[in-house]
Amino acid sequence: MIDAEFVRAYEIAGADFTNAGRASTGIKETLKNMGLPSALIRRVAIAAYEAEMNMVMYARHGTMTLHVTPQDVTIDVRDEGPGIPDIALAMQEGYSTATAEMREMGFGAGMGLPNIRRNTDDLAITSEVNRGTALVMRVHVG
Amino acid sequence: MSDMAETGVAPGARGGTAGAVSLAGVRAAVNGVALWCPDDSPAVTGVVAADLMSDVLVDARPGYVLVTGLVNVQVIRTAAIADLAAVVFARGKAVPADVVDLARQMNVPVFASHDTLFEAAGRLYALFGGGPAEAGARRQA
Repeated sequence: MIDAEFVRAYEIAGADFTNAGRASTGIKETLKNMGLPSALIRRVAIAAYEAEMNMVMYARHGTMTLHVTPQDVTIDVRDEGPGIPDIALAMQEGYSTATAEMREMGFGAGMGLPNIRRNTDDLAITSEVNRGTALVMRVHVG
Repeated sequence: MSDMAETGVAPGARGGTAGAVSLAGVRAAVNGVALWCPDDSPAVTGVVAADLMSDVLVDARPGYVLVTGLVNVQVIRTAAIADLAAVVFARGKAVPADVVDLARQMNVPVFASHDTLFEAAGRLYALFGGGPAEAGARRQA
């Protein structure tokens, strides 16, 4: 188990479907190496993966920063992109603005943000149209 | 959030044999070919059939097998993120080498079947004695 604060940042490139998911896989491996419970790791990994896919699909560029303390695992997600005009609408299951190409990759079902909320204890979303979106996702340890 | 695999208990199958089903049993049920599977003895806790990976992330539990008609690297990444036991690619679709290579790297067993998604899901539903009813109950929670 971790006894101090741990921070690691991951860069995400928009439209890079080949590498989409690598950052989340790295986060999962890092948490595994820390010896955190597998159920907690899975929740964080799923939330991170959905956020990463959202950035790959919609944003030009983004970062995911993993913060781990003895109390919480937090992922700070920030992107430069189109933003979300109506966050409440985007949180509804099934609502999606995905293109056919995104759906061919198996994403864009309108479950991304709801799935992030389902797998986190705290979720804060802020967004500015034509600027970008920021998510702070937190899962409590223990 | 409780994980059935954490407790070693398979989801309740209606009069079924869940918990006794191995990867070898899944492969046989769908007349599958192993594209990469170093060990087919691990137990499978359930099955999820979908082409949309976000749906998989909602419905699957650790130890489930994913049956899908989608063939790309995101299927493997999704399976690894969600702690799935294996992937069955249905519909006899050609599976590119990069997908199998990633499966090997990420330690995700992969099989190919000529069954349609409907047929493969039906055979596995029967194999699990009616299937894991618990997933539907969870969705409404």
